[in-house]
Amino acid sequence: MKPAYELYDIKLEQQHKTILNISQLTIDSGKSVALLGENGAGKTSLINLLAFTTQTSRGSIHLFGQKIQSKLNKQQRRRIGLVHQQPYLLPGTVADNIGLALRLQGVAHSDISNLTQQALKQVNLVALADQSANTLSGGELKRVAIARAIAYQPDILLLDEPFSHLDQRHIQQLEQSINHFAQQTGKTVIFSTHDRLQALALANTTINLVAGKISAAPLLNLYHGKFKQHFFDTGKIVIHVTSELTNAQHLAVDPKEIIVSPKPLKSSMRNSFPGRLSVISEEGHAIRLAIECGERFHVIISPEALASLKLSLGDTVWLSFKSTAVTIF
Amino acid sequence: MSYFADSLLAAFNIIGSFDADIYRIVLTSVSISITATLCAALLAIPAGVSMALNSFTGKTAIQHLLNTLMSMPTVVIGLLLYGLFSRLGPLGHLGLLYTPTAVIIAEAILIFPIMMNLTITAVNSADPRLVPTLISLGARSYSLILYVIQATRFAILAALVTGFGRAIGEVGAAMMLGGNIQGFTRTMTTSIALETSKGEFELGLALGLLLLMIAFSLNFALSWLNKA
Repeated sequence: MKPAYELYDIKLEQQHKTILNISQLTIDSGKSVALLGENGAGKTSLINLLAFTTQTSRGSIHLFGQKIQSKLNKQQRRRIGLVHQQPYLLPGTVADNIGLALRLQGVAHSDISNLTQQALKQVNLVALADQSANTLSGGELKRVAIARAIAYQPDILLLDEPFSHLDQRHIQQLEQSINHFAQQTGKTVIFSTHDRLQALALANTTINLVAGKISAAPLLNLYHGKFKQHFFDTGKIVIHVTSELTNAQHLAVDPKEIIVSPKPLKSSMRNSFPGRLSVISEEGHAIRLAIECGERFHVIISPEALASLKLSLGDTVWLSFKSTAVTIF
Repeated sequence: MSYFADSLLAAFNIIGSFDADIYRIVLTSVSISITATLCAALLAIPAGVSMALNSFTGKTAIQHLLNTLMSMPTVVIGLLLYGLFSRLGPLGHLGLLYTPTAVIIAEAILIFPIMMNLTITAVNSADPRLVPTLISLGARSYSLILYVIQATRFAILAALVTGFGRAIGEVGAAMMLGGNIQGFTRTMTTSIALETSKGEFELGLALGLLLLMIAFSLNFALSWLNKA
């Protein structure tokens, strides 16, 4: 099967500022993909680019193997469904909104009612079909927006920060709606989030975005600062690195490569900082520690390691990592 | 004071008498203004929506021009069209001078920039998510304009009502191009001007009151639309 998207040499600029700079990116079809990044990393811009609602300054995008020149044709447009971060429903009922999307996609009038019901069923909101759109709660509104985007049965569903400003109950309902779509054969779901745990729970793959660039580094310990002769200064701590990338502005430390000890370690590791243990939490089958040492570091250790270290919240611990555990970009 | 009060009482009596001539004048005024409003709306609304939706070179210049045209004196429009429609003018052969059509054209030209500007404002002040949502759902060019009009219909209707209000209260161009011909081009405003100059203050006042009633109804409709 052809990849859903192939992006080459993409550059997106707005008001003389580079928003996205992606040399190559392939998104396979039939997958759930999470776009991870901080606020302002370019997630929304990339989602809009993938929906072809924004034009690039440079580069090319292939949709299911076809290079898109400037605008999508009717068939291509029908393959993509987009849900904005704060979805807007037009005046009228829930069914009116879904019917509008179907009409705009050129669906035959006789199929509209049937497809509307089908879409509402997928998001478990059939009962709200005749309810006015402006009386919906935040969670219902997002699910109606998803129903509107999937009503014409697109192959790709793009969601921009679908879980923002929602409580846990609505997040769970929304996750179910997204999973329901993703489980259908060949459907691709791409959603942006800044919540790493959510990304890992819902997506097959994650794409890390840092300042408009794709980064292979995990974004759990991501710091911004300046690089100076083997040292990276975050403004709060100075980290030793081996790379020679003089124009680097971001640094990431692999959370699994950090060693935690109650006392300073006697080793060749160039980075060693004392800090206060502020969080101990369970993440899947592992334990996540948060340690404050100027910057907040996240460390992933095994439950056995936690038991042997006998750690308690508020303890002073030392964390150490090699220069090779650091990625700068 | 007694003169004014007596005239006002007489004016109410004239209105209450349902005089056919008076109501013919009102009907002429309303029909000319409605036709002018619809003609202007047919062009001004799509033009205003597409201008609000698109960015292009010269957009600011056009907006400045529209603002200037909004405050253009009606007699100037009357004068220019008089030159065009008069027997020796370039469109003299059409025989439009002193016909309701000439007045309709003048009023449509007069209210076009007002309606276009108000339409642009209506679209610009709509929810900023409206257009991106419609585009993401597949709306393009004509369908986008159509659905934007549908979503902002109350604000656009307010532009229509404002345009009609301006048209029905217009006197300069209606006088110059219509010629105030009884039963043909005599509108409320031209009639008020004529009756007052003749000393028929009561009749002028009666027509003025009817005009005020129309203006009041329009304002009422406008505030109801704004609330909606």
